[in-house]
Amino acid sequence: MIGNVIKYERDNIDTDVIIPGTYLKIHDYNELATHAMEGLDPEFPSKVKDGDFIVAGKNFGCGSSREHAPIALSTCGIKAVIATSFARIFYRNSVDGAFLLPIEVDDETYQKISNSDQLEINIEKNEIKNITKNEIYAMKPFSEIIAKIIAAGGLFKYKK
Amino acid sequence: MTETLFEKIWNSHVVVEKENEPSLIYIDRHLIHEVTSPQAFDGLRVNHRNVRRRDLTVATIDHNVPTTDRSLPMIDETSSTQIKTLEKNCKDFGIKLFGINDPNQGIVHVIGPQLGITLPGSTIVCGDSHTSTQGAFGAFAFGIGTSEVEHTLATQTLWLEKPKTFEILATGKRKNTFAITSKDIILSIIKQIGTDGGTGHVLEYRGNAISDLSMEQRMTICNMSIEAGSRAGLIAPDEKTFDYLNNRKYTPKNYDELVDDWKNNLMSDTNSKFDKSFTIDVEKIEPQVSWGTNPAMVSDVTGKIPTPEDFGQNNEIQIESAKKALLYMDLKPDTPIVEISIDRVFIGSCTNARLEDLKDAAEIVKGKTVNSEVSAMVVPGSQMVKLEAEKLGLDKIFKDANFEWRESGCSMCLGMNPDILKPGERCASTSNRNFEGRQGSGGRTHLVSPVMAAASAIAGHFVDVREWC
Repeated sequence: MIGNVIKYERDNIDTDVIIPGTYLKIHDYNELATHAMEGLDPEFPSKVKDGDFIVAGKNFGCGSSREHAPIALSTCGIKAVIATSFARIFYRNSVDGAFLLPIEVDDETYQKISNSDQLEINIEKNEIKNITKNEIYAMKPFSEIIAKIIAAGGLFKYKK
Repeated sequence: MTETLFEKIWNSHVVVEKENEPSLIYIDRHLIHEVTSPQAFDGLRVNHRNVRRRDLTVATIDHNVPTTDRSLPMIDETSSTQIKTLEKNCKDFGIKLFGINDPNQGIVHVIGPQLGITLPGSTIVCGDSHTSTQGAFGAFAFGIGTSEVEHTLATQTLWLEKPKTFEILATGKRKNTFAITSKDIILSIIKQIGTDGGTGHVLEYRGNAISDLSMEQRMTICNMSIEAGSRAGLIAPDEKTFDYLNNRKYTPKNYDELVDDWKNNLMSDTNSKFDKSFTIDVEKIEPQVSWGTNPAMVSDVTGKIPTPEDFGQNNEIQIESAKKALLYMDLKPDTPIVEISIDRVFIGSCTNARLEDLKDAAEIVKGKTVNSEVSAMVVPGSQMVKLEAEKLGLDKIFKDANFEWRESGCSMCLGMNPDILKPGERCASTSNRNFEGRQGSGGRTHLVSPVMAAASAIAGHFVDVREWC
């Protein structure tokens, strides 16, 4: 999985900035996606490209249980969020619906990755290759449970 | 082997458990609202599934509803559509709905306990992160996403990873039991353990400072567990719990038998081990006011806005986030909290819109008038709360003081109905989140208790409510 980085040097990027409450009334995912990250970066939907990754600090996705948050990012083309930690409901929602991969890295890796870097994520090797900087980082392995749900393509498919 | 309260509830609800697999957990109660359920019902239809236990599933409308006159047509078409969609889904699948004009309508986490739907020892889910509120009754209650809503509708179970346990021990006595509230206790806890302090853990609040609290005050504490990163927080049930739930509309017929069972079983065993522990002495707690853009950015009312360096304590990311927060909040370091003027006051939300909250706020407001620069509103947490408050004449006290008195709903807690802040407006709010844009794009939220909000509405700026009582 290869993509470019959109980096936000912030902790606690909450679900209200990922998709503000007023848009939770929208039923259509494509329309929802036009408001992704609006609370933090209104330019996000126009600059994001299919396959991109978001990189951010700790406690990404804190706040509401709205599955609209990973859905909005995923519909924009985001394939993974790389953060130093995640709020659990966001983490679980991302994986359950197979919307995107929530990938945890250490602080040092977070600091090394820059905006626009091209990365290759290899979840079999638990490795992130920074193609732009020619560096290799370790990612925190998924728990066995989460790895199985991801491999199945979401919670419903996992238990079928 | 000793077990914590959470472990007892978990173990009694396991349907399937295998090593290195998620556990299948039985769900006793599923509450639904209009925002996080439509796609779940779509999923049921596409896959030709039915609702497995409609008798354990209850719906209401809270997030979108206008809190003004309900006899008027709704102006916002998308909200209206979402509400009609829930009405249709409940009709098609045979689910009990407390609709927009139902006397039992209200914020889902407020009506659950009021109707006796919330029970000790049970597992409770809702597509809403503040489901943790109901942990105050000794239930394992937690928010879920829409995929999990669909899974619960279809199977009445959920695949879960077992969370760890985190003891929050609250000791001592509050110095002023009227002015220093459970909101101040939970904000103080979050200030210290951080917005991710509880991630992956279920919190159990214990100690005499918790037992001292009423059920409604305990709900405020459990409500904000999610603001510390915990999907659930709970409190062992006691006589106050059993009294609260007695003779409610849906209290089970064999209630006395249940109470006997709960008394014997629903507590953490002596010497049970928690994965983490934190102790707080409530005697040291003052009224709290949030100054930043997450619920850990909180100060004593007698304090000042911190410098980013003091707040961050050598952590560059924290220092940077404090700078951004102060910029968004338009606040300068070293400003005394009591010198911050406000434009709006919101007394409402699943955190602080129950009867005791309104009674305490009315006590402050009685015979006074809202500052001419401030616009203030009270939004009861449910229509039942509203009715009880009106029986006590609280509506008159608020209206005489120039507060607006509204119909129940989530209202200005989350800016997805007509009650929103204008860009730049500063609000003293009894809600739970001060995130950027939470109460409306560009709005600035300060989290406070109901009595602090009431006193600030009168003064036009934050005040130390201890001087008012």
